[in-house]
Amino acid sequence: MFDPLRVALKVAGSGIEAQSRRLLVVSENLANAQSTGNAAGADPYARKTVSFVSELDESQGARTVKIDQVGLDRRPFRLEYDPSHPAADANGYVKFPNVDMVVELADMREANRSYEANLQVVKQARSLINMTLDLLRGS
Amino acid sequence: MDPVNLFAVASQHSRWLSVRQSTIAQNIANANTPGYKAADVTPFESTLAATQLTMTQTRPAHMAPTGRGPSDPETREDESWETMHSGNNVSLEQQLMKAGEVGGAYALNTGLVKAFHRMLMASSKG
Repeated sequence: MFDPLRVALKVAGSGIEAQSRRLLVVSENLANAQSTGNAAGADPYARKTVSFVSELDESQGARTVKIDQVGLDRRPFRLEYDPSHPAADANGYVKFPNVDMVVELADMREANRSYEANLQVVKQARSLINMTLDLLRGS
Repeated sequence: MDPVNLFAVASQHSRWLSVRQSTIAQNIANANTPGYKAADVTPFESTLAATQLTMTQTRPAHMAPTGRGPSDPETREDESWETMHSGNNVSLEQQLMKAGEVGGAYALNTGLVKAFHRMLMASSKG
């Protein structure tokens, strides 16, 4: 029979991993917020989106979380008029990535909050395990 | 003399608390999963009420035990404080408050077991 507290640790671990992957995607988007294409009129960096799915761990009867897929945002690219830019098309417009700083920062804060909550669960599960082990210590 | 079953109840309660903690962990891990519904375990009273004493089979001719042993806590969907647009209804605040409750109850539980163990030791050592 499995130990529910160990299951709790495992589930919280999966949450921490998922949230840190999400943070990675956010940092990718922020870093590439100004990455244009190479050739004239080429598409720039497309914003990546991440979605989660819960997965039933049959052996332990718990629902862990994992990254479902990293997709691309289909919003239109931002156009700017700059004929001297190497990536400018015939009309002098340059396509910039569809990354919105505010959205990315909000996403980052949410990932941060969820990460902390998962961390709190790990801490608490450890303290519960320690309380049980303390029963063995001479009283 | 009636058997002293405090240890049995205490271990069942601590098991219930552990299952509750792992359910909370599951909710928090899935706090951003679209469509996920928060779960909670059934109250300890109903788990305890579902437990029946089992008969012991001391000779082969005896009837087989019919009662159920300690029942496992079951999880069910929980009513939540908020529902997100994505269909997810996990509220981190609510879950962390529950985790706090579990921590307090677990401390009480282990404290009681310790005290009871001390009493047993005191009476057996004389």
